[in-house]
Amino acid sequence: MECSPNPVCTAQVGSSHRLGKVAVRAPDELTIAAVAWLRVGIAVGAAAAGSIPADLSGRHTLLFVLIGLVWVPWSVLVLFASERPGTWVRWGAPTGDLAVLFAVQALAPGGSEAVLAGYVVVIAFAAATAGRAVAGALAGAAIALSILAHSLADQPDRLNPAVLVLFVVATAAIVLLIDRTSSLHARATARAAHLQSTADAVLAHIADGVVVTDPAGAVLACNPASERILGLPAAALVGQSCAAALDLHIEQRALDCSDGCRLLTEPSATDASLGHEVWRAAGSRRQPLLANVTPIRGDDGAVVEVVHSLRDITRLKQSEEAKTLFLATASHELKTPLTVIRGFVETLLKEPLDEGGRQLALDAVHRRAIELSSIVDRLLLSSRIEAGRVELTLTVVDVVEILEERVLALAAARERVVDLHVEPGVGLVHGDAAALATVFEHLIDNAIKYSPEGGPITVDARGGERTRVVVSDRGIGMDAEELALCFDKFWQAESTDVRRFGGTGIGLYIVRSLVEAMNGRLTARSSPGAGSSFTVELLSAGTTPDAGDERAPGTGESTMIREFMRQIGVPEREAP
Amino acid sequence: MRALVASTNVLLGLVYTSYGVMTIVDLKRGWRSSGISHFGLAWIAMAFTCGPHHLEHGVHVAMHRDGAPLDLFAVAVGLPAGIVWFFLRVEALAGGRGDRFVAGTPRWVSALPVAAGVYLVVLLSAAGRVVADSSEFGPRLVPNLLLLGLYMQIGYYLLRTQLQNRGPLGGWSVSGLSLTLVFPTCGLMHSVYVLYASTLRYSVEWHGLVIDWLAVPAAVYFVWVVRGLCLGTRTDWNLGAQGVQTANLAVA
Repeated sequence: MECSPNPVCTAQVGSSHRLGKVAVRAPDELTIAAVAWLRVGIAVGAAAAGSIPADLSGRHTLLFVLIGLVWVPWSVLVLFASERPGTWVRWGAPTGDLAVLFAVQALAPGGSEAVLAGYVVVIAFAAATAGRAVAGALAGAAIALSILAHSLADQPDRLNPAVLVLFVVATAAIVLLIDRTSSLHARATARAAHLQSTADAVLAHIADGVVVTDPAGAVLACNPASERILGLPAAALVGQSCAAALDLHIEQRALDCSDGCRLLTEPSATDASLGHEVWRAAGSRRQPLLANVTPIRGDDGAVVEVVHSLRDITRLKQSEEAKTLFLATASHELKTPLTVIRGFVETLLKEPLDEGGRQLALDAVHRRAIELSSIVDRLLLSSRIEAGRVELTLTVVDVVEILEERVLALAAARERVVDLHVEPGVGLVHGDAAALATVFEHLIDNAIKYSPEGGPITVDARGGERTRVVVSDRGIGMDAEELALCFDKFWQAESTDVRRFGGTGIGLYIVRSLVEAMNGRLTARSSPGAGSSFTVELLSAGTTPDAGDERAPGTGESTMIREFMRQIGVPEREAP
Repeated sequence: MRALVASTNVLLGLVYTSYGVMTIVDLKRGWRSSGISHFGLAWIAMAFTCGPHHLEHGVHVAMHRDGAPLDLFAVAVGLPAGIVWFFLRVEALAGGRGDRFVAGTPRWVSALPVAAGVYLVVLLSAAGRVVADSSEFGPRLVPNLLLLGLYMQIGYYLLRTQLQNRGPLGGWSVSGLSLTLVFPTCGLMHSVYVLYASTLRYSVEWHGLVIDWLAVPAAVYFVWVVRGLCLGTRTDWNLGAQGVQTANLAVA
């Protein structure tokens, strides 16, 4: 965001206007751009006008060819550069104009008076956009060029000396006048603009929500982060009472701010500088927030505004809960096989067993050691994903082969029936064979685990530009809230009863990370009691990744405009 | 020769004008949800100047100009590429894929730079011989040279994108390759026109002159829009779809 000197882009905190990702341009930049378009229009028009006469003289032909082949490209170049006007555009554009005007004056001296007026316009524009130094230099150059053209011209075409003197005086006066006006204006606005844009940039980009209320608790303004945290647009927040807009609670008590901000007087349970832990109702759940308030006082010391800073600590709380749960779960998951291993090993050490008993004990130790290794592998893979240290080799692999192998292995190991349906045409996809095996193993294993009643487990593979593998069960399922969290690390369905199903709660996190790393997509559908289905979408070999995804906004069809944009390299941007 | 030059130009003219019509259909479909597209408008302006240029040239050759071999040579590459893109767009308009993917870099794609080099060398050599006979160059030929530069710029953007996409896609888009070929050849056709006009083989008449001068601001506008979109100083229909769930979840 290019904001700092730009009063136009300083969105007022609390307005419904959101700062977009597209730079808003300053007035002088808009002027430069508008003049750049005007210059292109004049240049093309002048060059085209040269096409009209059938028999031009040699000098006029040269002039119009120069205009067409030099000034038009130059003006187009300046137009393109004016998208982000740097220093050279500010002085280069009028310099080019002066050169063209001199060429006109030299090759068509009959129009010298009009050229002098052109010089004045160019210099005035330079004074307004490039400053006194550039305008002064250009004015000097224009005067010198005019005198040179005057001396080169034939006697009848020469300028009246009085006109030349008038031109010199007028040029100097215009430069001084415009520069003085510009300096005063710039000085007066620069500081205010700087302060405003700094404050706006800070408010627009900080992660904490900032809500400003008047002493009576009416919301005056809010920043984009507060809209995000509170889930309401600024237009819906501004003007509301604090109780209606924020609806903050401490423990079981709603804050009553009708006679002043309660948080200003409320003792903080933690360090006062950290603020208050409060919560608000967000649908059916509690949204924990860390709130800080600062009064802004007027000259008389009375509170005129109260600035609320709100930090959403939902993820922090969830993370704390998840880690606590994970420690409990992982300890249990690790301890169960270790206990069995220990028990059998102690038996083997202490008691002489017959060959059958000994073999039984060793088989049990072996199975539990594999289970233990699998748990540790998952934990390690999760850590490596988090650290960005998982490198996949994307090649063309046979997804059916991997599915068959994983389905057979898991069905045998878990003694469950897993139905595999493969549509004709399903075969090669872009992916990493080892990662795909891990993905399908986790999904099928989950389907088995969360179908304790022995419901059917199905795996459907469907072809097309994107290969879709759907793993479905009719197990316990998830509600919408659980579904929204199921790809989070350490999350588990029925997490309050983890012992029922076991597991570390990182399987789906691993699956999603791996699928996305293979340029695929993982989606989930679920209903409580009706089961879940997870769909892995992978790019089929021999198709273009976006061929099926190119859609025109609102039409659902691939279009000429969007296709051309894609092919010419126009980047997709987020809507502001 | 005259019949070939005339018919290929008329065909190209119809194809390019059809691009404009298809883009109008696109604009009409999308403007309610996404607003007006400057990119679309600029492309329509280009299509409705480029197409009529070829139509006009083809008709004039058919009526009273001598069709010239370089003209046919220049159009020989642009025509197939333009038609391929045309059919892909028709397919997309009918709800189809609108593109084909070429996995890896097959031999015919590897040969394209060499073929382009040969094409340029032959064209420039032949052009050199024509230039030797050049007797007149005036302001009326300027727009064609400006269009050469502008179309080359657009071709550069397209080629750059194809080269950048090759790695991540693991291959080439036929739609992109055909479009990449269209613009430089279109520019070269304008330069061939300049060559023949400067030798007085082609006379510059009013219809073509007006169309070519209109094509210049249209092409400038198009490149300006593309630059702005790439720099992010303006947005168009390249904004992400509103309301699409980006989380990989679908609540049942």
